Amino acid sequence: MAHNFRSDVAIDWCPGCGDFGIVTGLTQALTELNYGPNDVVAVSGIGCSGKTPHYLNMAGIHTLHGRSIPYATGVKLANPRLKVIVTSGDGDMLSIGAGHFVAEGRRNTGLTIILYDNEVYGLTKGQAAPTMALGEKTKGLARPNVFGKVNPITMALSSGYSFVARGFSFDTKHLKELIKKAMIHEGSSFIDVLQPCPTYNNINTMEWYRGKVYKMDDEKSWDPVVLPDTSAESVSEKFNNAYKRGLEWDDKIPIGVFYDNRAIPSFVKRIAEYLPDYLNNPPAEQIVAGTDGYTNVDPFKTFADRVI
Amino acid sequence: MSNIDLNLSIGGPQGGGIDTSSNLISRAFASSGYNVLGVREFHSNIKGRHSYVHLRIREERPRSLKYPLDFLVALDPDTIFEHLDDVSTGTIVLYDTNDENAELAQARMIMRDTAKRINGVLQENKLDLNVKGALALMKKNGAKIMGIPFSKVLEGVELDGPATRYYNVLGASLTLSIIGLDQKFTRDSLKHIFGNKEKVIALNVKVVDAAYKYCRDNGLQGKTLPDMDAPPRMLLTGNDGAALGKIMGGLRFQTYYPITPASDESSILEEHEDIKWLSNENKKLASGGITVVQTEDELSAITMAEGAAITGARSATATSGPGFSLMAEAISFAGIDEIPVVITFYQRGGPSTGLPTRNGQGDLMFAMNTGHGEFPKMVISSGDVEECIYDSMKALNYAQRYQLPVIHLIDKNLANTSDFVPVIETKKIKVEQSLKTKDKSDFKRYTLDTKNGVSPMGVFGKDIFWMTGDEHDELGHVTEDPLIRDRMMEKRFTKLKVADDEIPDEDKAQVFGSDHAKVTFITWGSQKGVILDAIDGLKAKGIEANMLYLKMFEPFPSKFVDKILKKAGTVIDVESNMTGQAAKVIRMNTGFEVTNFILKYNGRHITEDELISATSDIVSKKKKIVVLENGA
Ligand SMILES: Cc1ncc(C[n+]2csc(CCOP(=O)(O)OP(=O)(O)O)c2C)c(N)n1
Ligand code: SF4
Repeated sequence: MAHNFRSDVAIDWCPGCGDFGIVTGLTQALTELNYGPNDVVAVSGIGCSGKTPHYLNMAGIHTLHGRSIPYATGVKLANPRLKVIVTSGDGDMLSIGAGHFVAEGRRNTGLTIILYDNEVYGLTKGQAAPTMALGEKTKGLARPNVFGKVNPITMALSSGYSFVARGFSFDTKHLKELIKKAMIHEGSSFIDVLQPCPTYNNINTMEWYRGKVYKMDDEKSWDPVVLPDTSAESVSEKFNNAYKRGLEWDDKIPIGVFYDNRAIPSFVKRIAEYLPDYLNNPPAEQIVAGTDGYTNVDPFKTFADRVI
Repeated sequence: MSNIDLNLSIGGPQGGGIDTSSNLISRAFASSGYNVLGVREFHSNIKGRHSYVHLRIREERPRSLKYPLDFLVALDPDTIFEHLDDVSTGTIVLYDTNDENAELAQARMIMRDTAKRINGVLQENKLDLNVKGALALMKKNGAKIMGIPFSKVLEGVELDGPATRYYNVLGASLTLSIIGLDQKFTRDSLKHIFGNKEKVIALNVKVVDAAYKYCRDNGLQGKTLPDMDAPPRMLLTGNDGAALGKIMGGLRFQTYYPITPASDESSILEEHEDIKWLSNENKKLASGGITVVQTEDELSAITMAEGAAITGARSATATSGPGFSLMAEAISFAGIDEIPVVITFYQRGGPSTGLPTRNGQGDLMFAMNTGHGEFPKMVISSGDVEECIYDSMKALNYAQRYQLPVIHLIDKNLANTSDFVPVIETKKIKVEQSLKTKDKSDFKRYTLDTKNGVSPMGVFGKDIFWMTGDEHDELGHVTEDPLIRDRMMEKRFTKLKVADDEIPDEDKAQVFGSDHAKVTFITWGSQKGVILDAIDGLKAKGIEANMLYLKMFEPFPSKFVDKILKKAGTVIDVESNMTGQAAKVIRMNTGFEVTNFILKYNGRHITEDELISATSDIVSKKKKIVVLENGA
């Protein structure tokens, strides 16, 4: 029988919060992918979004504000067999955690990162998040936002993420499909999820998005996939197309897969190149002492260059 | 047996190969059976500024360094200027005669304040403001000046590239020849240093031979020293020791963000990630290695290590003050979530970036108090290279046994001390592992049903449990229930009490020297060796002294320390900081107030002579605080 990925912890998000759709999409994706409870780990930061792991019936860490990515990376690198999902808010990931977000693009570890993008800091009562546009004034703000916005899609692309997508939390069916694709992707995958926060963001509401989002996948000509044998020319064309689509944010907002590069080796694979036993005997599973309980390391052989 | 006890400094521009000179001398003496202790001093600069190594060579293992020097080897004019104060009657000063006319004003790499001070001293003595003047002052103070035209020595020797490139090996070889070490050991030493780079070895052998020939031809060669039997030894720094201890202690995951002097440890681990086994008991044991990750910052270093630890890998990170500051929040997280992780904390001179390449012990209280909120952590400290090895193993064990963050303090002086370690005991410390559960469906990671506060450790991939930086229930879910909060706080702190009961006193504090001493030194970290030597030196002067040496600060061995100090005579706290932090910790834990201090905070290592004279100042002149100032 398929595992029930929803835990019995009561959800305390506000009624109508876009976060619910993400949990639904996620649990459905995990079920459809036929994962067992011990195959996956969820890692979050701090914020409304940060509570997600508790709502999932699988191992999870609700970590520090901004640090979900390095915690998740530690989990993945210690045991690369695990599927590691990061569920994090826009403030969490693109402000305090922005350095890790960029670094993770360079590493391409193999995480699945889901950004809860509501343009506000929900849990600290509505301050402007890095995705909110300059001059916007939501009801939680005393005066219009004085910061410019970052674009999570183009930021992810330029940081090196090999899978970049956007979903809408009120289209759970579509989101579920995106999550499935992201999870079977070998490198790191990033999904920007448009997640209305009815409590603090009265501008980017569900209705607002409903009138604007469109699916790139519906276009026959849209092919974001790069395979190992894709020509360099074609790779750069696909990347440029993804980037251009990533900049669209007017009357129309694209959702779907922007870029899916399957040719870039994951960090896990790169480590395995210099530690040959890494994949079949990962750090979390290695035996660290001899049967007598003492070290089995030969100090003089290990440090032969220091012996006199 | 000849009784040699040589203090030698070899100095030159940073990037000019001083490490090679030092290695050459150390390894040559080692091959001949002698022991060498060395400390590396350098500026935060890649090329040009003054750097030097202070070595002490004895048959017995030296534990400290001493001024005045017996030998000063100057590979550049700056070295002469910088070490004016380090020479005295009998010091041999070896320098390149081509440097004689170098003007102090032209020596741009000397720190402005230092140049000004030297200028004053030379003027006061009505001497030329150049190397000649400085040498004249050294001569006046009793030094034996030995000028050698470096370029002439290498004249006619066919080398690859400019001769100056070989001056580091030349300086070291001249020194070894003058001291009287057989040429074969100096040649051998090149093989140790350059490994299998045949061509480099061949070129440098020519330099060694030219140096020995020059000394022979000019009557400078010393009487050949007898060589001695010595067991195979390892030349290790504190950084090496910590890395080796981590490897032996079963470390499988190390993270770091580059910082002096911590990152050397991680580089060493990277070089040795492929572990060499004693025996291949089983296939799984004989495969694998250490995954070392250079992270984007220290926030990532500590959190990534914690992520790996929760997943079941023995994990650690290494950093220095500025990086440790950034780690505080995550250490607090490891506290509430009971994560076994080791942070090797290489202290250097603060505050802020302070003296980034110099020694300091200003972070004791910071390490003890790091993180917000109250949570148990352990803080241990090492004082010599061997301790670095075994304490690294213990730190990993404590982290596993009690499931908490362990902070391991090593100071820069120790990190950059090179020492010969004859025996490394693989059967000294067992490698302990946390109790792991077997896939139970109702697993309570934070069960309160435990006597010692340690709940069975779960592992991602095998167990389902949750973790949160918030207070949590037994499953790991957020709770603010007042009773559960109380029980969780108590459970966590029980571990510290249990650790205090279980860990033997000798792992927390030790007393060296006579029980009836008049003077009791209190110290921690790298002063251990210099105090041991000073105790011997003071005895010769009629002052009986002993040392209370602290190794564990959290939990603190209050009873033991109290017992020792209650019966002690004059108690002197010796630390490389300005505020006597260990003395404060003692007062906090025992109520005992230390009133005599020997402190050093200029970033340089403490030498035996200055410690002995400072002790005399306290014992006979009734001084309360003596600040040590030696060092170039
Ligand atoms: C180091 C640190 N700084 C600040 C906070 C306070 N804090 C809690 S939640 C939050 C904002 C979260 O916003 P976002 O990531 O957008 O998530 P949302 O609540 O909107 O889901 C902040 C700043 C914290 N917990 N830790
Ligand atoms: S504040 Fe906004 S993001 Fe947070 S739970 Fe409420 S609606 Fe959702």
